[in-house]
Amino acid sequence: MSTTLDTPAPVPRHLPALRWTGALAVVAALGVAPLVLGGYYLHALIIAMIFLLPAHGLNLILGYTGMLSLAQGVFFGIGAYVSALLSLHFGTSFAFNLVASGVIAGAIALPLGIPALRLRTYSFVMCTLGFVVIAQTVAKNWISMTRGDMGLAGIPQPKFQFGSTVLNINTIPAYYYLAPVVAILATLGFYALIKSPAGRAMVAIRDNEVLAESLGVPTWAYKLVVFMLSAMFAGLGGSLYAHYMTVVSPLVFQMYYSTTILVIVLGGGVGRVPGAVIGSVLFVALSEALRITPELRMMIYGFVLLLLVFSVPNGLAPLLDRGLERLARISPVTRGGRTHGR
Amino acid sequence: MGYFILEQIVNGVVTGSVYALIAAGMTMIFGVLRAINFAHGEYYMLGTFAAWYVVSKLGIDYGASIVIAVAISALIAAVIGRLVMQRLVNAPFQSGVLATLGISLILQNAVILAFGGGYKVFPGGWLDPVQFFGIGMAQQRIVLVVAALVMFGGLEWMVRSTTMGKSIRAVSQNPECCQIIGIDVEKVVRRTFVLGTALAAFSGALTGPVNVSLYGGMGESITLKTFAVIVMGGMGNVRGTLFAGWMLGIAESLVAGSIGLQYRDSVGFIALLLMLMCRPNGLFTAKARF
Repeated sequence: MSTTLDTPAPVPRHLPALRWTGALAVVAALGVAPLVLGGYYLHALIIAMIFLLPAHGLNLILGYTGMLSLAQGVFFGIGAYVSALLSLHFGTSFAFNLVASGVIAGAIALPLGIPALRLRTYSFVMCTLGFVVIAQTVAKNWISMTRGDMGLAGIPQPKFQFGSTVLNINTIPAYYYLAPVVAILATLGFYALIKSPAGRAMVAIRDNEVLAESLGVPTWAYKLVVFMLSAMFAGLGGSLYAHYMTVVSPLVFQMYYSTTILVIVLGGGVGRVPGAVIGSVLFVALSEALRITPELRMMIYGFVLLLLVFSVPNGLAPLLDRGLERLARISPVTRGGRTHGR
Repeated sequence: MGYFILEQIVNGVVTGSVYALIAAGMTMIFGVLRAINFAHGEYYMLGTFAAWYVVSKLGIDYGASIVIAVAISALIAAVIGRLVMQRLVNAPFQSGVLATLGISLILQNAVILAFGGGYKVFPGGWLDPVQFFGIGMAQQRIVLVVAALVMFGGLEWMVRSTTMGKSIRAVSQNPECCQIIGIDVEKVVRRTFVLGTALAAFSGALTGPVNVSLYGGMGESITLKTFAVIVMGGMGNVRGTLFAGWMLGIAESLVAGSIGLQYRDSVGFIALLLMLMCRPNGLFTAKARF
């Protein structure tokens, strides 16, 4: 090649195949994990899967419309409370509760989003932080509904009935197979959304809102829908959490949850699906598995945030990309003649 | 009834003075850096903890402990200012939010790890009761209001008459022009940051005996109330924060006295949301400063 222009390096032919292999390898590794890992490590992975759902939600709103929302923890908590209340008062099934939690969290996002989304930059951040505190106050003081600080205990574990066979999800390995199914379905849904024309419109809003509007993208409606969808993802996660822990208390509205979700998304790489997966494994599963105390973990999160701002602003996903690309280049199938430009 | 309202208003002015002192620092930092300091309440917490440590563990007199507490917090703030805050000049707003959230997590949890997560009791302080318009209250509360007034007077003088105050105002108006004419923007940011956080630490040390109990997470709710005050006062408007602080304090104590104590902390939020929706530029100015 004699070109002197800075053309982007050619994409190795095997990169898409390698990506798929990587994704399948992750799924396969998750599948065999219960054969190898003990109960506590499975618990850590389950928690990571559960956090992946609100992380997808934040990824959507931050990565595709550029709005930094701290309210993901609120919708996560609302999902948890909806599941708890439905199963305790009406004895509804897990599948029903899961869907209901998502829908109700999304519906509550509508009246919150209409005023909040008129704000920009730090005003929006402060406003979403305000939602966190209001949610805490409501959960603590609406005692007839939430039982206040005592919380709601005895949420039944999921049970599926196919004809006469009843499938009880009451052990950690059993739940371990349920959580990834929901997480993978949500991930596929996320992909479908961002690859659709709506996803491209969202990217346009993030990159230049005025331009997007001038091209006929209804920016306001899009932002509202994205805010509601991100709340739905968080609500689904909250429902999984409630049925797994079997206890819900106002502690789910602590800043801790919103911060964790934020660190997962930013640490992994904003707007990147593999980023959210890496983030939740690294920042939730690993720290849970190492039995780091919550205080020390929050301190580590603090340093991670500083590192992200000043050293690796794009998170870890680009590192993964580069690694995969290098792997694709050196793979033996590549013919010598095609590896020019190195 | 009249007595009840008067009592609530006096109490509100006392707590409002504390909010105003803390918010004045945050609003100045916002002015020079255009970044919301999500860690601001943690410096207030540091002030209280430093004073508590000096009084209860080292056995030093409370009056001296205020000075020591402010000095310790200012030292920590100077390090953070050099390592983190000065790098936020000209950074996008997300960087400011994330970096200060990170600092908040580090400071809060470091204090919990060092001193334990439980509630502690603040010993000492000037707690002799005095009569004020027929309302009995501790001396400490009078000291708080007087200190806030003196500090605001001092800030007003500094911002108008000293070189540093003038450079703070200049950077608030246009950092690029300041760089062109040779004002060291990073130095101004560092100094404003240390001054602003020292004000928060000072009010932390002063309110210790009034709050009685202290714990590592106490800064969080203060940060949130401070947001309400700086938005009400108008972002970057130092004088506005004094009146906004009093208004929030009075509204809080009226709600606590008539509806219920548990709703006290919601007042700030409702005020914040209403302000953001209806008058995002603050109560005291029609046009946006930033």
